[in-house]
Amino acid sequence: MTRKSMLARRLLTAYGILFFVLVYLPIALILAYSFNANPVNMMVWSGFTLDWYCSIFGLETELSQQILYVESTDALLSAVRNSLAIALTTTAVSTVLGTATALAIARYRFRLEKFYQTLMFMPMIMPDIVLGIALLIFFISIGIDLGILTIMIGHCTFLTSYVFIVVSARLAGMDRSLDEASADLGANEWTTFRRVVLPLIMPGVVGGALLAFIISMDDLVITYFIAGVDSTTLPVYIYGILRRGIKPEINAIAVLMLSFSIAVAALGLYIRSRRR
Amino acid sequence: MSLQTRRTGQLAFLLAPVSLFLLVFFVAPLSIMLAYSFLEPGLYGGVVWEFYHWNYGRVLGWADGVLEEFEPVYLSIFLGSLRLALLTVAVCILVCYPAAFWVSRLPERWKTLCLFLITLPFFASLIVRLYAWILILRPSGFLNHVLLEAGLIDRPLQMIYTEGAVVTGMVYIMIPFMFLPIYASVEKLDTSLVAASQDLGATRFQTFRRIVLPLTLPGIVGGSIIVFIPSLGNFVVPSLLGGAKVLMIGNLIEQQFLYARNWPFGAALAMLVMATVMLFLLAYVTLVLRRDDVPRTG
Repeated sequence: MTRKSMLARRLLTAYGILFFVLVYLPIALILAYSFNANPVNMMVWSGFTLDWYCSIFGLETELSQQILYVESTDALLSAVRNSLAIALTTTAVSTVLGTATALAIARYRFRLEKFYQTLMFMPMIMPDIVLGIALLIFFISIGIDLGILTIMIGHCTFLTSYVFIVVSARLAGMDRSLDEASADLGANEWTTFRRVVLPLIMPGVVGGALLAFIISMDDLVITYFIAGVDSTTLPVYIYGILRRGIKPEINAIAVLMLSFSIAVAALGLYIRSRRR
Repeated sequence: MSLQTRRTGQLAFLLAPVSLFLLVFFVAPLSIMLAYSFLEPGLYGGVVWEFYHWNYGRVLGWADGVLEEFEPVYLSIFLGSLRLALLTVAVCILVCYPAAFWVSRLPERWKTLCLFLITLPFFASLIVRLYAWILILRPSGFLNHVLLEAGLIDRPLQMIYTEGAVVTGMVYIMIPFMFLPIYASVEKLDTSLVAASQDLGATRFQTFRRIVLPLTLPGIVGGSIIVFIPSLGNFVVPSLLGGAKVLMIGNLIEQQFLYARNWPFGAALAMLVMATVMLFLLAYVTLVLRRDDVPRTG
């Protein structure tokens, strides 16, 4: 190997490492700040503390007695509750809808196949803001009050597509001879579906559901337009706070949100690796 | 009941709910938005059911001068957003391409780890990732702190609320979407072609331009489309990192709906965003996907 190409390879390695450091630096920074006891300047380390974590749950601490940062623990917790309720409901609905569509397209020959495939891609390629305001105009003009229900409906419109894609990918790699064998052995279609097809696509269904859950918990733009006055979700609540200024407790909230979504993602990867 | 009718029945059972749902909550809202963009804004925030194309005229340059004026500022915000979105795409390519190359040459175990590390931020909350950049870029933030401590500057630089901050934020949240498609095409790259090119006396640059780049182009273009779509209409990044200084078309749309209450005009702006995105997608489908169908000769 020439010296020049050795140098090129070293430079590439250095860049590769730098790339990953830079991707994770911002997240590491939040983590560090969330334990910093300095209430005025986050950049200056003045000791380890868990007070910010306590104060978001409304517990009395020395720091939060000095400076009252969190506006309202109740508002935060109600946003979390809304987010969870919405994410659980929309995950259930969009998983059923998305899986049914994926089954229909993979298992049946029909004239509108191409049309349905395109239709399922449309909500994914639609810019968030376009879908958000289209739904806003729609709900207002037919007279549905904005609130939890409208957010749930809005999330289902695009989450169905995500589930559809994940389950379709699973169905594409599936061995059709298994359900032919099941039919040959005398099982009826329902039994074949329940005992053969469903267990085989289950990892795809669970993966799609977890993806839908995470995206629903995290959605900001669409929710922002169709959330009513008193049905804030967690991302919309944080967005509101950030637009007004930064408080040390946000670090602690951010770390908890990151841990939660990483735990869900890890669960998904674990399930996928076990069922393969 | 024949097999054929039974299968038709099953198909209808599987597709009816999703058809109904998307018809009512996806197709209908978009159609109503299209209709709204051609309606006259009412005096107090509502709409008048009259055909009214000046909503578009206001932005694109025709106006009657009585009801609406042509306001070049809207067009310049739109073009500015287009520029920032394309800049985001370009920076994403430059940042991700060498990294994807590096990862593709790592041993198998490290590859898996790196791919996991790239995918993980996608699952991390978007608002949290943007918040991190507020902490880094603001006047009393991390970067200014480091630069001051190092003695490189003697007063904090204005980094947040600039176009650079907006592009940085957008690139950061889009990295997984650019990295993965590029990685997929780099991974497939046949290294014997690179070796052959070098054996035949091509310089490194020639090999890159004539062999590596064309073969990995599908990944680059695919990633560009995925990054471009959410960047163009983005309003969260400019509102957090651009403040009042950097206004993108997404912010303008938000204002029309939440503050100005001129819904038809906002709908027209959103239609422009959608039309632009569709145009880029169409170009992608006709130029790139079509070309892949034709077997290469010569």
